[in-house]
Amino acid sequence: MNTECKKGRNVKKSKSDMVNLIGNVDQKDDLKYNRRAFLKTAAGASVALGLSTVPFSVKAMMGMAEEEEERVEITKLANLPKGESLTFNYPTENDAAILVHSVNGELVAYNSACTHLMCPVFYEKDSDTLLCPCHKGYFDINNGHPISGPPQRELPLIELEVTNGTIFATGRKYRHG
Amino acid sequence: MANKKYWVIIFLTIAINVMMVQWTVESYLGREYEQVVLFSGIAIVSACIAFIALVYWKRVEYEAEQHE
Ligand code: FES
Repeated sequence: MNTECKKGRNVKKSKSDMVNLIGNVDQKDDLKYNRRAFLKTAAGASVALGLSTVPFSVKAMMGMAEEEEERVEITKLANLPKGESLTFNYPTENDAAILVHSVNGELVAYNSACTHLMCPVFYEKDSDTLLCPCHKGYFDINNGHPISGPPQRELPLIELEVTNGTIFATGRKYRHG
Repeated sequence: MANKKYWVIIFLTIAINVMMVQWTVESYLGREYEQVVLFSGIAIVSACIAFIALVYWKRVEYEAEQHE
């Protein structure tokens, strides 16, 4: 440290007793690593942590402005018998999703990017679950929540509507159930 | 020590901010944008408190030396 404090603190010629102990071989360290420096660093860390949330809230505010869900036709109900699944894209072309007509006749849809590392999930008819083959992650078909394996968060749920035998995607929910 | 309370305040704000960072990231991933703004608001307030506490602490801490 060669920038000397203008108030004459923490320098070799300071009036502080601690610094001027005769024969203090660790004088340099004492000037640098002491109680005061520790608290200043702690306060700095606290401020840095607090400010590190700012980019998130900026992005969140941008995201809030453009949250517009649209209604998109997926397929005809007749094309999807029980136990079958179908991949589609919703809400944009880059968001892969899976529509499942489960063995007990329910229609559900989720974004199919696994919440672990984004591998696509598949519908497993025999066990009636969603399976991510990458690291053996399993999701509950009824609510999209992880049941076993590495994933921690639920799959985003896509809200469906069936009118006159046609299935529509009408919205998406990130936290649900 | 009169300035012990500043230590306590500063370390409390660290604890709060660590929690807030965690919660903001989590609600950001869950697309709960109102929560993101709330938590990061709290984090900013507590960062300000930490800074103000530091300023006051400095005043108390170095006061003795200046009067010598
Ligand atoms: S990416 Fe799906 S379990 Fe790892």
